Amino acid sequence: MVVEGLLYTKDHEWAKVEGDVVTMGITDYAQEQLGELVFVELPQVGKQLVARKEIAVVESSKAAGDVYSPVTGTVTEVNSELGTKPELINEDCYKSGWICKLQVTDKKSLDNLMNAKKYQEYLDTL
Amino acid sequence: MQGSTPSGQFVFEPPVAEPAPSVLYEEHLKLTNKSRMSPFAGYVMPLWYSTIAAEHQAVRRAAGLFDCTHMGVLEFSGGGAVGVLHAATTNDVRKLAVGRAQYGYILDAAGNILDDIIVYRRAEQLYMVVVNAANEPKIKAYLKELLAGRVVIEVEPHRTGFSPCEPCIFRDMRDTASGSDCRVDIALQGPASIDVLAKLSSDGSIAEKLSGLKPFAFFEEKLSGIDCLICRTGYTGSKVGFELFVHPDQAARLWNLILEAGKPLGVLPCGLGARDSLRIEAGLPLYGHELDGKFGISPFEAGYGWAVKLDKAFFVGKAPMAKIAQTYEMQVTRLEFSAAKGVRPIRPDDPVVDGCGVCVGWVLSSATAGEKQYALACISRNAATEGNTLGVYYLARSPSQVQQGRAERMDKGQQAQADLTGTVVGRFEKF
Repeated sequence: MVVEGLLYTKDHEWAKVEGDVVTMGITDYAQEQLGELVFVELPQVGKQLVARKEIAVVESSKAAGDVYSPVTGTVTEVNSELGTKPELINEDCYKSGWICKLQVTDKKSLDNLMNAKKYQEYLDTL
Repeated sequence: MQGSTPSGQFVFEPPVAEPAPSVLYEEHLKLTNKSRMSPFAGYVMPLWYSTIAAEHQAVRRAAGLFDCTHMGVLEFSGGGAVGVLHAATTNDVRKLAVGRAQYGYILDAAGNILDDIIVYRRAEQLYMVVVNAANEPKIKAYLKELLAGRVVIEVEPHRTGFSPCEPCIFRDMRDTASGSDCRVDIALQGPASIDVLAKLSSDGSIAEKLSGLKPFAFFEEKLSGIDCLICRTGYTGSKVGFELFVHPDQAARLWNLILEAGKPLGVLPCGLGARDSLRIEAGLPLYGHELDGKFGISPFEAGYGWAVKLDKAFFVGKAPMAKIAQTYEMQVTRLEFSAAKGVRPIRPDDPVVDGCGVCVGWVLSSATAGEKQYALACISRNAATEGNTLGVYYLARSPSQVQQGRAERMDKGQQAQADLTGTVVGRFEKF
C-alpha cells in the first residue's frame, strides 16, 4: 500500500514534508518484508544526518534492517512509543508507526525523493 | 575438484541453478504473497503465511502443517542395502527393525558431517533415507561414488570402497524415474495431529493406531484414498507429530485435505520462520549451524554422541569420531533469555559471556518463542551446566554501532560485559 501525498525512497522510507519539517518512517512494503518487529533503535535528538545515512535500526526476530534518513537534516523528535510497541510500525507504518522528525538543513536533498506514483512504479519492478 | 581428497574429505560443488518451485508452490501462493516467498536450499519457499508467532503457537497448541517436499528421499533395496547403510552411517542400522526409523549421520572419512539423516526400514530389504534439502545433491553424489567404489572410506590404512557383495539398488524417490513409488514429505506437528488425521481415514481404529505409534515408528495406510507412510518423526520438538510421505501427485490434495480438516481445530500452515523458531525452542540442530558449519561441530559436541556407535566394527569416519569422543571441549547448549518488548533480539555469532565477563563461545541460532528468547550456543563444556547464568553480548548490528565502539567479533577468552543475561536450560525440550 502506497499513500498519496508522501514522498518515498528506494530503500522504502516515507517522508511527510511540512515546511522545513519532515516526519519519516518505513513503508508498508518494508514492514511486510521484515515481519513482526520486536525492537527499534531510535536516533538521538539533535543528531545531524546527511540523506541516505543510517538513522535507525528495526529488528524482527528474523532480520535487522537499517533505516536511512530520506533527507539531510537534524533529528528534532523521536517516536518513543516504539520502545515498548515496535509493532506499531507493522500495524500503522504511515501514521502511529512514524519513526522520527527532522529539521531539513539542505532543501536540495528533497529533490531525490519519489512521489507516490513513482514509488508504486518502482515497487512493481521488484 | 569433486570427490574424495587423500585426507578423506569429500569435496562437492553443488550445481548453481535458479531456485525451483516445490511440489506445493501453487498451494503456497493461495495462502500467501510472493513477497513472503524466499529461496531456500534450491527451492522457493514461504517464510510465513500469517505471522511466525501465530504459526509457532499453532504447533504448540493445535497443529501446524509444513511443506517438507524439498527434502531428499532416497531408497536402498536388496540384500546389500543394510551393509551399505551400516557402513555409511554412524548409527547401528543392523539393529533397525521393520517399521522403525533411526537418526544418524553420514560422515566422510575425515570425520566431517556430510548430513544428519533419518533411515526408515520399510521392509526386510527396503530402506528409505530422508536427507536435508540443502545437502541432497551432495549426499546423492557421495552415495553414488561410494557404491561405485570411488570414495575414500578410511584414511589409515588408506582404503577406497566399496561395492557391496550383495546387490544394493539406490534410487532417488523424488525422481520421476521412480514412477508410482515416488515419495515426498509433508509434516503435521502438534497435539491436534491425531484428531486431524483421524478425520481423513475411514479406518475406525486409526486414532488408536496413531496414539499407539511409538516415536520413530511408522506404518503405511491410506488417508482419503492416498497411500501414505505415516511416521512418528518430526523437527519441531512436538510429542505428537507425524511426517507423511506421499506420491508428489497427491501432495497438494493431502495438503488441502489436512488444512480443511484441521481448520476448526486451529491448524495453520507453517513457513520456514516458524519451523526455525520451533526447532530452536526444542533444541534441535540445523546442519550448517549446530552441526558442521563454521565451528565444525561434531555429533558429540552437538549432544548426539549416542547416534555414533563406536562399537561398530566399521563405519566411514569411525577413527576421527573415536578421537573427538575423547577430546571434545565445546558443547552445544540451549540458553533461555527474556523476550519482553524493548529487549533486543539475540543474533547468531553473538558472543556468550560467563559470570566473570569472559567470552566462552558464540550463539549459533536464536529465536523468540512467546515471552522468551532461546539461543543454541557453542560454548566451553565447563560453562555448560544446566542452571548456570550466562550472558550474551550484542555484536554491532550496524555501522553506527561500530562507530560507537561496539565489537564486530570476539574471541574466546576475551573480556566483555553481557548486554543480556539468561540461563542454561535443558539441552532439549519436548512439547
